[in-house]
Amino acid sequence: MAAVAIPTATDLQIGGFNFENCRRNVVLKEKGLKEPTAYKTGTTIVGLIYKDGVVLAADTRATEDTVVADKNCEKIHYISSNIYCCGAGTAADTEMTTQMISSQLELHRLNTDRKPRVCTANRLLKQMLFRYHGYISAALVLGGVDSTGPHLYSVYPHGSTDKLPYVTMGSGSLAAMSVFEDGFKPDMEKQEAMQLARNAIVAGIFNDLGSGSNVDVCVITKDKTEYLRTFDEANLKGQRQGNYRYKRGTTGVLKTQVKKFDYEVVGTKVKGEEKMETA
Amino acid sequence: MATLLMKPDETSSYAPKQTYFSPYSFNGGTVLAIAGDDFSVIASDTRLSEGFSIHSRDVEKTYKLTGTTVLGSCGFHGDVLTLTKMIEARLKTYKQHHQKTMSTSAIAAMLSTMLYYRRFFPFYTYNIVAGLDDEGKGCVFSFDPVGSYEREAYRAGGSASSMLQPLLDNQIGFKNQQGVEKVGLSQEKAVALVKDVFISAAERDIYTGDAIVIQLVTKDGIKSERFQLRRD
Amino acid sequence: MATMTSGISRPGISAAEFMKPDWLTAEHETGTSIIAVEFDGGVVIGADSRTTTGSYIANRVTDKLTKVTDYIYCCRSGSAADTQAVADIVNYHLSFYKMEMNDEPTVKTAANVFRELCYNYRDSLSAGIIVAGWDKHNGGQVYAIPLGGMISRQPFTTGGSGSTYIYGYVDSNFKTGMTKEECLKFTGEALALAMARDGSSGGIIRLATVTKEGVERYTITGNDIPKFYEG
Repeated sequence: MAAVAIPTATDLQIGGFNFENCRRNVVLKEKGLKEPTAYKTGTTIVGLIYKDGVVLAADTRATEDTVVADKNCEKIHYISSNIYCCGAGTAADTEMTTQMISSQLELHRLNTDRKPRVCTANRLLKQMLFRYHGYISAALVLGGVDSTGPHLYSVYPHGSTDKLPYVTMGSGSLAAMSVFEDGFKPDMEKQEAMQLARNAIVAGIFNDLGSGSNVDVCVITKDKTEYLRTFDEANLKGQRQGNYRYKRGTTGVLKTQVKKFDYEVVGTKVKGEEKMETA
Repeated sequence: MATLLMKPDETSSYAPKQTYFSPYSFNGGTVLAIAGDDFSVIASDTRLSEGFSIHSRDVEKTYKLTGTTVLGSCGFHGDVLTLTKMIEARLKTYKQHHQKTMSTSAIAAMLSTMLYYRRFFPFYTYNIVAGLDDEGKGCVFSFDPVGSYEREAYRAGGSASSMLQPLLDNQIGFKNQQGVEKVGLSQEKAVALVKDVFISAAERDIYTGDAIVIQLVTKDGIKSERFQLRRD
Repeated sequence: MATMTSGISRPGISAAEFMKPDWLTAEHETGTSIIAVEFDGGVVIGADSRTTTGSYIANRVTDKLTKVTDYIYCCRSGSAADTQAVADIVNYHLSFYKMEMNDEPTVKTAANVFRELCYNYRDSLSAGIIVAGWDKHNGGQVYAIPLGGMISRQPFTTGGSGSTYIYGYVDSNFKTGMTKEECLKFTGEALALAMARDGSSGGIIRLATVTKEGVERYTITGNDIPKFYEG
């Protein structure tokens, strides 16, 4: 009998997500298996427009359930030299989504030889998130300066967006918004705007358990972008009094084995890193 | 606070809605106690929280019961309040009936029966009793929410217990340490260790922070000390 | 919140269950008040400005009057994500249509593009849309496209959660043959009444007229919002 090659689900995969284990996982879950949990950056992220551009700010805590998974993570993601994006929600989703849009915009820039516009990034983000019906848990604050001036958007997981002069997102968004509603003025000076953004994040850090540690700030203007990692340390770590170093030999050695590893040196070569041609 | 809410079925928009009532909530907090030769130390943080928000930064979760006994209790704060009130009433009637204050080991035995009395609608509380026993030695009793208890040398309970307990096992119990001299714990070292482990717990547990209150129980009475933690 | 996703909670259960913040799961809803009225030579459209996620106001100055072409607008109600996506798609189709035909699409055409999407995807969309605008063949027109994807032309229509509170008002105060100014007053007052009663409507009142001359926009804020009995 002639054999017919039947393509399997894996053969047909050409990109994007792989759903082949969905049904299996549902069955396992019914049998009482606990699913592994993703890092949720229970977060405070904010953005505001001031006289000369946009200020973005974020806290640096990432949580997994009630445990702090990362005490100093980066939540302000690069989109392009003139556009950055704060992410809240599932850490993996915000990271991959922003990387994907960053890549698409870079290709667009190379094709058109123009600086990308914020509305383009916004449109790419909302169309991608809408396609996934909110299953990609990415809540974003998108800000940047382009040929038409400074722009700020909030992007929700279901794909809706708002264009506003000041926005907050994440579990600490209510605390941060109360600071903005109290102190926001149009056309602020840079220092004033940075301080207000910092205060909004600090409100989230202290009042929301999902947010904590430090404040990161990113200031984007027409011809310069400043990424100020650890702009402010809202919390200083407590000083321990005891000494917790172990004396050599404290860890028990259960078994010792020495093995000879035979090899011959065929040749050695030092290679420098080559840069990809992108211009 | 206990809540009543409507929750739509997430799988289908046509499914009937079902309402739930839950009598419990979790308000976080960590308690920790160490027994020494002639003293015991018991400490708790002072944060009271629910979900992602902080109710208070200044609620002590240690309760002085007698001149030689302190209770540490956390979990659902509503149950903690009820339980401590009931214990205080029982201690008062005991004193009136017997013309003496209850010993630490007697309080521990009583707490066990009080918790087991609610076997099928438990107090959602993690309890640790610390103090001096009848011989004047430091003692620590730890409980599960339904009344199982045992006397131990040291114990952590509550939200960061799984982080603190292994540290105590290593530092006080000398677990996984070979060839070290197993020296007894001094009061100063015990208090310093309590501060250090809480500093570490506040780094990683979102329900532990703001401050700790340390109660040092000796034959001379109970000395209380406060120590700041990070507030984020 | 103490409540678990399913069943009764027990001591020692993972806190993650009730810690899930609702901005992650809750969809953005424009629990809205929207309205559109035809008059001789154009239409008046209006909306409140509130967008909510549960009980939180995510945007208090939302613009729910969305441009589709220079002469056709839509009023959006329902899921913010769904209605924005639908409006963007219709905008794309009509821009393409205009380039191919070298002429403005009619309001009826625009409304039917909306209907096509809203009907075909009726099981997955939550969008109640009013399409209104002006074209040279039939002047000002208002089309209502409610939840299931039906379409109907009306002299005036209301939509969104706030509309239920003002059926009595609009039915008793609507007169055929109102002028542009009378229509603006009518829509403004109807929206003020809806916003006063409906918790998920509020903010400012956004109005617009669409005529042969194009669009003219108005906002009513703060103390300028019409007041009625508030006892």
